[in-house]
Amino acid sequence: MTRTSFIAMFAIATTAVFSSCTKDPISNLTEEESRIYITNRDSAADFSSYKTYSLADSVSLIENGRSAGREATSWDVAVTTAVANALNARGYRRVARTQNPDLGINVSRIYNTANNIVDLTGYYGGYNGFYDPFYWGYGGYDYYFPPTYGVYQSTEALLSIDMLDLKNAASSQTIKGIWSGIIRGSGIFRSSNVQSQVQALFDQSTYIQTTP
Amino acid sequence: MKYTKIFIAFAAVVFSATAYAQKGVTKLDLGYNIALPQGSFKNDVRNKSYRGFEAKALYGISNNFSIGFGTGFQDFYQKNPRQVYKLEDGSDISAVLSNSIQTIPLLAQVKYSFTPGATVQPYAALGVGGNLISYTQLLGEFGGQDTKFGFAARPEAGIYIPFKKNGETGFRLGASYNIMPFKEIGFTNLNNIGIHAGVSVPLRK
Repeated sequence: MTRTSFIAMFAIATTAVFSSCTKDPISNLTEEESRIYITNRDSAADFSSYKTYSLADSVSLIENGRSAGREATSWDVAVTTAVANALNARGYRRVARTQNPDLGINVSRIYNTANNIVDLTGYYGGYNGFYDPFYWGYGGYDYYFPPTYGVYQSTEALLSIDMLDLKNAASSQTIKGIWSGIIRGSGIFRSSNVQSQVQALFDQSTYIQTTP
Repeated sequence: MKYTKIFIAFAAVVFSATAYAQKGVTKLDLGYNIALPQGSFKNDVRNKSYRGFEAKALYGISNNFSIGFGTGFQDFYQKNPRQVYKLEDGSDISAVLSNSIQTIPLLAQVKYSFTPGATVQPYAALGVGGNLISYTQLLGEFGGQDTKFGFAARPEAGIYIPFKKNGETGFRLGASYNIMPFKEIGFTNLNNIGIHAGVSVPLRK
């Protein structure tokens, strides 16, 4: 082997070694660090003007933009319980949906098996299909949500919690979404993570507060 | 008085040039490089990078001057603790923000050796050219990777110590200031100080 070819091979090997030593930012994340918590709100909404809420015991399944029914697994129950606890701690009172709640809370598991960008606008556009306004006692009304994000690439699943303004539905003739929280990342469907995940959404939404 | 003697002794070693000629010789400088982010780059990437190398292929056009090509590789990585970020649409995202940046400068290089043939040969060098940058910014595990080609300049100074008297192969130790403008993902530059150690070997005469 000539000296020149030895040096060339040494240079190539050095490049390969250092390239392989590049820190992979994904593999350097723990499961907790992989998760992101996204919240959005209607900036015009006065959260202290709402006093009561209703929350279904089951969770809606949305697969590739289509409603796939409702479920109440132990994980689903843990989530709805955690949401109720968080709202109670902020001064809201849970009532049955027949008792004219000020707020309606929907919890959804959203699965996107295709590796596309999540179109949350489309998701909200299908709200009439997912949640019949009759359920809230306002049959025939349309839903309205403020312009929202949806700029991140989808992996496989996310948890969504939506807060609906039922108090003003009659006057505005629409069921307005005033807050949404989304959790994405690894391990979100692990039961041991439920409480901290839901709490994280409320921790970054300190404006959700009322006096009993 | 003591310091004067030490200085004289050091100068005698450094400037004890013999009739050594690097004119007409092509040499490869290859070294391990540590990079320390500077300026605004340091605000976003505080970690020193221990994953890098630098290389030059230089042809001696005189006993002092050589010209050629310079390159290298450096990997920068920083994971920031979880924080809530406000987006333009009014939404809030709580996430661990990670930045991963790799730089490969491709430079036209000039090098000046102050005392060719001496036992210790100080040198200064300058490389100017382009910079191939691969970068990834993640919020949690979400984000994307992209590449960009930008400007790069690498002023440098160091010493070369031949393994034997008048030898063409030797040890190199030096430092460089890497100027790398980069106006993406919230950065304005990737400026850093590089500290390198390596060897210098002749390729051909």
